[in-house]
Amino acid sequence: AIVLDKPTTTFDFTAYMLQKADKVNKALDAAIPMKEPHKIHEAMRYSLLAGGKRVRPLLCIAACELVGGDEETALAAACAVEMIHTMSLIHDDLPCMDNDDLRRGKPTNHKVFGEDVAILAGDALLAFAFEHIAVSSKGVSPARIVRAIAELAKSVGSEGLVAGQIVDTHSEGLSDVGLERLEYIHVHKTAVLLEAAVVLGGLMGGGKDDEVEKLRLFARSIGLLFQVVDDILDVTKSSEQLGKTAGKDLVADKVTYPKLLGIEKSKEFAHKLNQDALQYLSGFDEEKAAPLVALANFIAYRQN
Amino acid sequence: TRSKAANFDLMTYWASLMVQINQKLNEAIPVQYPPQIYEAMRYSVLAKGAKRAPPVMCIASCELFGGSRLAAFPTACALEMVHAASLIHDDLPCMDDSPSRRGRPSNHTVYGVDMAILAGDALFPLGFRHIVSHTPPDLVPETNLLRVIAEIARSVGSTGMAAGQFLDLEGGPNAVGFIQDKKYGEMGECSAVCGGLLAGAEDDEIERLRRYGRAVGVLYAVVDDILEESLKAKGDNDRKKKGKNYVEVYGIEKAEEVAEELREKAKQELDGFEKYGERVVPLYSFVDYAIDRSFAIDETGR
Repeated sequence: AIVLDKPTTTFDFTAYMLQKADKVNKALDAAIPMKEPHKIHEAMRYSLLAGGKRVRPLLCIAACELVGGDEETALAAACAVEMIHTMSLIHDDLPCMDNDDLRRGKPTNHKVFGEDVAILAGDALLAFAFEHIAVSSKGVSPARIVRAIAELAKSVGSEGLVAGQIVDTHSEGLSDVGLERLEYIHVHKTAVLLEAAVVLGGLMGGGKDDEVEKLRLFARSIGLLFQVVDDILDVTKSSEQLGKTAGKDLVADKVTYPKLLGIEKSKEFAHKLNQDALQYLSGFDEEKAAPLVALANFIAYRQN
Repeated sequence: TRSKAANFDLMTYWASLMVQINQKLNEAIPVQYPPQIYEAMRYSVLAKGAKRAPPVMCIASCELFGGSRLAAFPTACALEMVHAASLIHDDLPCMDDSPSRRGRPSNHTVYGVDMAILAGDALFPLGFRHIVSHTPPDLVPETNLLRVIAEIARSVGSTGMAAGQFLDLEGGPNAVGFIQDKKYGEMGECSAVCGGLLAGAEDDEIERLRRYGRAVGVLYAVVDDILEESLKAKGDNDRKKKGKNYVEVYGIEKAEEVAEELREKAKQELDGFEKYGERVVPLYSFVDYAIDRSFAIDETGR
């Protein structure tokens, strides 16, 4: 029961993904060592090091390498994006928000540490992401780091993740949510941070402005793709397969692509977004673009 | 220079900066879609009665080294944004459970807990974004901006104000000293240091500002506790938190002694800025004001 038929490629994506994810995991582990007060740092590390596919850091690194930078140059930015992603999950899972008990196959942060510590751990991760990118970016001009900070801040705030979460919450149970509003929610809840990941990679890697803008368009397509696939998986997979509560969109009476378009049309839409995304990469060196192509396909064809 | 501080008109200086800061904050958070979040953000950031002490200290520290006010305004506004974010989250039911702040209902009382969490989450990054997109590039080199970002992030983060709030929740013996150090000392330190960084101060000067700002921040908190205890003695007894007041834990004599020590420590640090002449005067006057509270701060300066 796969979402779409998977194409064959020569690029060894699994090996690439494992190698980069390992690098990112080590960097995240080193970025936030245990210190006083222990409980906050433990809570930060609990969610940050809970596994996860590291899609955003990988996109950041792959974009950096595509424009000619190397892995190390983008590593701090890649980690910062993952810290922000984690922080948004911790806060979204809170009882007054989405009220989730399970995340990445483990009890959610507030279930383990309490709501107060979960809020503080999220705040601390949010702040540290900016500190990390400002202090630990290596081999990048300060001008580019400043641009990266503006980009990242925009993606997480009231024009980004926060806006998505609000419109999402306010749409639950509404009967007249149309495609336009659904797309707004998905673009803001998911696509903006994927976009930031890719754009930061392009900036850190020394990409020219037109290259960075092409990467931005690529990221917007895969960002929406990511969420369309998420919607499809929510209705076709079990909680065990997903590592988070399945079918909760239905329970929360949330509008989703399958609900508005049906499963088949949703899959077609996913396919189209994937094709669009790959188009934006066509101007780049084919070999260097292989990881991003594979990441786009991975997002389209993933099973959880 | 110390004696000149006694004659300095801090009230006028402070009040005129407040007008400009309030105007810039108002412009920095226009209402867009979805309007609820912007209203919640504006409610706390633009709250009447906010003294704007962190921005004023940031600007005064920047001007000490001959830096332009224009260089300091975006960071000054950012300090208020991140400070407001911290306070919104501190007031939440699962934290301090404060239904009001500065005599008005707290953010979650008006907008709901979910919106209050998100308003805080949006204000932190808005602060960082405001600094990098509004600081005139010809006045502050990018390397200094990055140091300002790192400084603010560190002081609101897991070893700074978030740590202070955590210790506040945990309680425990001697917690009050740590809490004041982390919750109030951090903000004072950060405000002074950011001003210095924006003006391109030397590293040893930054460290001096660090010690000065921290002392003044804690001094404010200790004096607040002394004032609060005296109100309580007059029968105004609606405080619900025990063991969080310095005077309650250590007694009035010890509190006054600590305040005097902090006043002297802060002034001693400023003595090291002798070569900057009269530009250090506003920083001296903050120290005395922290203890004397000789006037009420409001926009009109009256």
